Amino acid sequence: MINWDQFVQLTVNGLTDGAIYALIALGFSIVYGILKLLNFAQGDVFMIGSFIGFFVLTGFGGPDAPVMPIPVLILLMFVFAMIGAGLLGVVIERFAYRPLRNAPRIAPLISALGVSFFLQNSALLLFGPEIRSYDTFELGSGEYAFPSSGIQWGPLNLSILRMLTIGLAIILCVLLTLLVAKTQIGKAMRATAVDREAATMMGIDTDRVIAFAFFVGSAISGAAGVMFGLLLDNISNTIGFENGLKAFTAAVIGGIGSIPGAMLGGLLVGLAEAYSAGYLPGGVTFQDVWVFSLLVLVLLIRPTGLLGKTDIRKV
Amino acid sequence: MTEPTGPRIGADEWVARQEERLKDSGLSRFGERLGKRITPPMRFGLLVVGLAIFGIATSDQYYQRVGFNTLYYAALALGLNVVVGWAGLLDLGYVAFFGLGAYAYAFLDSPQYGLHWPTLATMALACLGCAVVGVLVSLPSRRLFGDYLAIITLFFGQIFYNLVGNLNATNGPNGLTNLDPLGFFGLHINTVRQYYYVALVVFVGVVVVLWLVNQSRTGRAWRSMREDSMAAQLLGMPVNWLKLLAFAFGAGVAGLTGTVFAALEVNIFPSNFYLDVLITLYAIVILGGAGSMAGVMLGAFTIIVGLELLSTPDNARLLFYGGIALGLVLWLRPLRWIPIVVGGTIALGFVVNAIATAVWASGTKPTSFGGQSQTMSSWVVELTDPTKAGAYGYAILIGAVLGMTLLKGWMRKVALIPVLYLAAFVWENELVLNPSVTALIILGALLVALMIVRPAGLLGKARVEIV
Amino acid sequence: MTPLLELTGVSLHFGGLRAIGDLDLCVEEGEIVSLIGPNGAGKTTVFNLITGVYDPEAGDIRLAGRSLVGVPAHKRTRLGVARTFQTLRLFLNMSVEENVMAATFCHTRARVWQSVLRTPFQRREEREVQTLADQKLAFFGDRLAGYRRGQPAYSLSYANRRRLEIARATAANPRLLLLDEPAAGMNPVETHEITELIGRLRTEGGYTILVIEHDMHVVEGISDRVVALDHGVKIAEGSFESVATNPRVVEAYLGLRAAEEEA
Repeated sequence: MINWDQFVQLTVNGLTDGAIYALIALGFSIVYGILKLLNFAQGDVFMIGSFIGFFVLTGFGGPDAPVMPIPVLILLMFVFAMIGAGLLGVVIERFAYRPLRNAPRIAPLISALGVSFFLQNSALLLFGPEIRSYDTFELGSGEYAFPSSGIQWGPLNLSILRMLTIGLAIILCVLLTLLVAKTQIGKAMRATAVDREAATMMGIDTDRVIAFAFFVGSAISGAAGVMFGLLLDNISNTIGFENGLKAFTAAVIGGIGSIPGAMLGGLLVGLAEAYSAGYLPGGVTFQDVWVFSLLVLVLLIRPTGLLGKTDIRKV
Repeated sequence: MTEPTGPRIGADEWVARQEERLKDSGLSRFGERLGKRITPPMRFGLLVVGLAIFGIATSDQYYQRVGFNTLYYAALALGLNVVVGWAGLLDLGYVAFFGLGAYAYAFLDSPQYGLHWPTLATMALACLGCAVVGVLVSLPSRRLFGDYLAIITLFFGQIFYNLVGNLNATNGPNGLTNLDPLGFFGLHINTVRQYYYVALVVFVGVVVVLWLVNQSRTGRAWRSMREDSMAAQLLGMPVNWLKLLAFAFGAGVAGLTGTVFAALEVNIFPSNFYLDVLITLYAIVILGGAGSMAGVMLGAFTIIVGLELLSTPDNARLLFYGGIALGLVLWLRPLRWIPIVVGGTIALGFVVNAIATAVWASGTKPTSFGGQSQTMSSWVVELTDPTKAGAYGYAILIGAVLGMTLLKGWMRKVALIPVLYLAAFVWENELVLNPSVTALIILGALLVALMIVRPAGLLGKARVEIV
Repeated sequence: MTPLLELTGVSLHFGGLRAIGDLDLCVEEGEIVSLIGPNGAGKTTVFNLITGVYDPEAGDIRLAGRSLVGVPAHKRTRLGVARTFQTLRLFLNMSVEENVMAATFCHTRARVWQSVLRTPFQRREEREVQTLADQKLAFFGDRLAGYRRGQPAYSLSYANRRRLEIARATAANPRLLLLDEPAAGMNPVETHEITELIGRLRTEGGYTILVIEHDMHVVEGISDRVVALDHGVKIAEGSFESVATNPRVVEAYLGLRAAEEEA
């Protein structure tokens, strides 16, 4: 019979990892939606976010001796990481992508590749190759034993941290959807996404709108970085590329440019990883192969992704 | 009735008179005529002769190895050029084919499985096998272009790296060792110089085959596809098949090159086939000019030699200051600004150094901290413990350079002075101490800068695009 | 005799919008037929259906009796259809010559290995392609001749670009030539030239031509028959005079009041 405990645990793990992928994919989708650009640097912005969180953590005493209550510390980590990552995203857009707005599609893609590589190696240069640890267990011991405590519901073991992750992802997704659908700037973003030139002629400052979109998308990725650190402890300069790749997959599976699609895609990728690690031969080593196969499958059956819209082109 | 004088409407007189002008005497005309007489095949022949002579002329193994590296990177880049430059597709998993070829050689010619196939057979299998895999990889993206293809190929490269790094069959991260040397008809290839010549032969073969394909209807069809794939399709060109063909050629070249690389290295590891090789290849293709074979060759030479220079601190220093000097001479206009900027930077340097050493004597004594220069220490502020300050300096430098691009006119030129000094500071205290990482950072920045400033690269043709 | 091109009951929707509704259209070999109608009538969509950009939801499209439905676009060219585009789609960075030679792909047969080995067959075919390109370009007098041949297509003037596109289409050796607004954006002199050119395409080139045009002078000058579309439906067919004065056509272009005044 099926081992339900294992299944439930795998599902939970898959959903939490998937939530992180979903957050990066959200940033990715926003940028793609508005500029039709695959921002390869999105994962590296996520990585920088995790490092910012780390430095805030160690700057305020570190996991062993925090100088302030832990929830406040964590909040600060998020705030700094989101703002820092957001600003980084804006800078990247301004200097690496804006000059290429009217260049053929391949140009900003290669530029994005260059930015990603530049960020990765700058981090290597500045922070060194050592793996840094958030040491969440240490952080959470004492009064706030949050890594291991949490809800115990039958076979379900859901720590506060995991709840936080999934909850944050859902909240950000909802906020983002509302932002795009209901606010003035959201409308401006949608207009710019459909036809940039026409949007400028309608009085929309597309430069600002695009910068805002990058800020929001990168900030969300930065938050994901802190989440990642809290959940998985270890960060290094290579986590950007690896997780970024999964996030691309998630965005594509869900339908690139679609916000709920990014969320759905992220969760699917997370679950696919967890289940393939748990059930399929090869286990953890070959997770990526299975996820990749999933991607190929989705692309063959429904190239625009599960929730994506078809691109109508006039000949 | 006399004919009206003056330019005829609709006729481009200047271009039409080109043939006449060429008959004029004069040195530049002579150069033009000579250029026309020496056809591309002849130019390539001269290059090959030069390369062959180089192989004999130098007996230093180091130079031979650098030559080998340049040649195999050039071959790899030419393969990538087929996909990116000629067919206009973005293949981000290209390195995996290189790795496949290398691992194929490792399986077939090493004690690992006790197989010792004849080299030519392995090479043929690697080349054709990789071509087939290339077709398979590009199949799912048949109906997709640009973006989706990039993601799929990127993921494929990642899968290859993961598989090869984890499977028992490939010995995981420990790689495969003790590979056989190449052997052709009983002759074993043992010395670096011999490998250089093998690489030269492979390089020439690749160039010739690719050139012949490109000069035929296939090349025309690829170019049309790159220009406007829908129009090409509607004019009878089977775009999907052409994409697969481009991938097949690129992958085949990469696989072939992989075997030669593996044989010389004797030991191969998954890390040989990862992102940094991919970025290097893209930098080569873009720098040289995507689509131009001569450009790619030039790009390979520039980048590989540049990377070699960057690997030792003294050479790296030469490259750094030489590069700045070259940049100033090429781009700083009007020319009178050059002495101003150079003079100003030098002066600023001495001043800051004097102040810094006076104020903080203990912290500014250069140790030979893995490469700090004694000679430069009186100009650049060299810190005893450069790690923290170097890191901050780096971040500030990035900001300063980006900010400088926002300034215009004389303000930008004046801003050059402190920025250049800051760059020298960061260089001496941070970058030169981690040359391998610095090289990679430069590659990444180079890609971005090229795309913005000169997407056609050195020898590419500036393209007119309708977006 | 079977018509060269036959559309029967062709329909196509884009989402909820009917682009083409139950269209019947015939073009006999050697004819020049003009397709007219206000903007948005679906004229380019008809071309797209014939060339394979879209497949019809209902109905059939036959070329010389053979159904084209489901045949991939690039194969249709080999079967004998070639087109130009409403918004020019030249291969801008390729030379004039190369643009024309590119279109010969569908009827050349040298394989890749033959190209690499430069077999006699391949070399002969390349020479033939070169000669064919010369011929097709020569059709336009000295507009696209001489030094212009080696110039990149982006260096051509607008009118020359239109001519090049036609030359490129003819290089595919089609039986049926689809010209999408060949006179768009041309001044009166150039328009006159184009009118003569289309006539010559039929007489000297032997092509059957289906033309989309807005300029009624051109339509009058070239057409054996005129077909008028509006909102995806055929509203008139016949000689130029009969269609031009047809009240439904006048209404489609100029509105109901003008139609009533005309009647």
